[in-house]
Amino acid sequence: MIMNSQTKSQFIAVASITSELSAVMVVAKEISLAAANAKAIAFRAGDKAKGFQPITDFINELAKETIELVTNINVYALLLYRLTVNEYRRTAAYNRFEQAGKLATGARYADSMQEPIAHARTIMQDCQRQFKRDVTQLLGQLEAVMHHARAARVIAANSRIEASQAGEYLQSLQAVAESVDKAAHTIHDNVQRCRIALSIYRNS
Amino acid sequence: MKMTKIYEGAHQWVMFGRDENKPDNIIDSNQYIVRTANKCLLLEPGGTELFAPMMAAVLHHAPVEQITDLFASHQDPDVISSLGLWDQALSNAKLHAPALWEGYIRHFGCESVEYVPIPDNGETIKIESVELQIIPAHYLHSPCGFHVYDPVAKILMCGSVGSAFEAPNSPVFVERFDVHVEKMRYYHQRMMPSNQAKRAWIDKVRNLDIDILAPQHGRMFKGDDVKRFLDWFDSLQVGTGI
Repeated sequence: MIMNSQTKSQFIAVASITSELSAVMVVAKEISLAAANAKAIAFRAGDKAKGFQPITDFINELAKETIELVTNINVYALLLYRLTVNEYRRTAAYNRFEQAGKLATGARYADSMQEPIAHARTIMQDCQRQFKRDVTQLLGQLEAVMHHARAARVIAANSRIEASQAGEYLQSLQAVAESVDKAAHTIHDNVQRCRIALSIYRNS
Repeated sequence: MKMTKIYEGAHQWVMFGRDENKPDNIIDSNQYIVRTANKCLLLEPGGTELFAPMMAAVLHHAPVEQITDLFASHQDPDVISSLGLWDQALSNAKLHAPALWEGYIRHFGCESVEYVPIPDNGETIKIESVELQIIPAHYLHSPCGFHVYDPVAKILMCGSVGSAFEAPNSPVFVERFDVHVEKMRYYHQRMMPSNQAKRAWIDKVRNLDIDILAPQHGRMFKGDDVKRFLDWFDSLQVGTGI
């Protein structure tokens, strides 16, 4: 069965989500580690980093939520992949049935092929609709991750301000802020790539 | 797709093959149906590429809803890789295939078709009033394979045994056995791994009353050519193709 270019793109788009999100997962875990590190530094810095301490809790919470979101999205992406495979099989079957129907022109029982053709068409269209619905839902979940990434960048900016008042701990805390900012950037870019790849299949 | 009626009685046997539109890079294969009043058994349904022409050809003999049974002699893709398509086209069908290969054959897609596993020692399949004997043919060439014998039509569908590869427009029956032998020799030497299995099969088959030997590839054998084939196969050392 020859796969057309749209089906190929669909397979690639769905497979790329898992790949992009595994990178997001690694980065989210790094943020969580940065938060733990920042908490230890802020504890040592005492009053000098008083403003930094609640930020570390927030960073940690954000990282945890991102990990949870990505875990859920990965499960969903796997379901979407299975749906893509099913849609491919159903479409291929429909095309073969139509081909058989045409080749059977003039055959004594050619009409009996009409019911399997109609049934295959219905199932194929159901799969296509389901795929669009699921893509729309997945895009919503990816938007939630983007929201977290944007929040992480705001936190990183606040962290820099608080770090500037931490005396000899300035450099360590600035490094934490930098790593959170960089991680947030990576998450944003990876998730954005997933959204672009999927957006052409969403429900209009 | 060429269609040849090879038995006409209370039920019919039809052979299908020599598909002119088949892609050049896939091997030609023979498919068969056993047609009774209200049912149709499709033997060796074929590969995915053959599904549409095969379905169209069967529709000359039976409506889709009466294709109730499929048979696969073994697990190879040219025998049964179209299963995923038949599975979606047939609403109430059974696949009779080796028990050993069930987990393998299901890879082709088998959700609505009921897989009826054939035990190693064979069994009998009943299609309305027609009783077909499922004859073990292990290691010929598959480690687990079966042939189908119809004692009324006196036809043995002998899977890979007797196979040869021919030009697309070749006749469906062997005309000169001595010429045909050379088309079969390498295939049997290379594909059949066991002289012991071959001898056991020949001993069994010599006891059957056979008018037509119907292989999965190439020409069928009828009349005296059946005995000629068995004698030739008996004397051939197999498992020697390399």
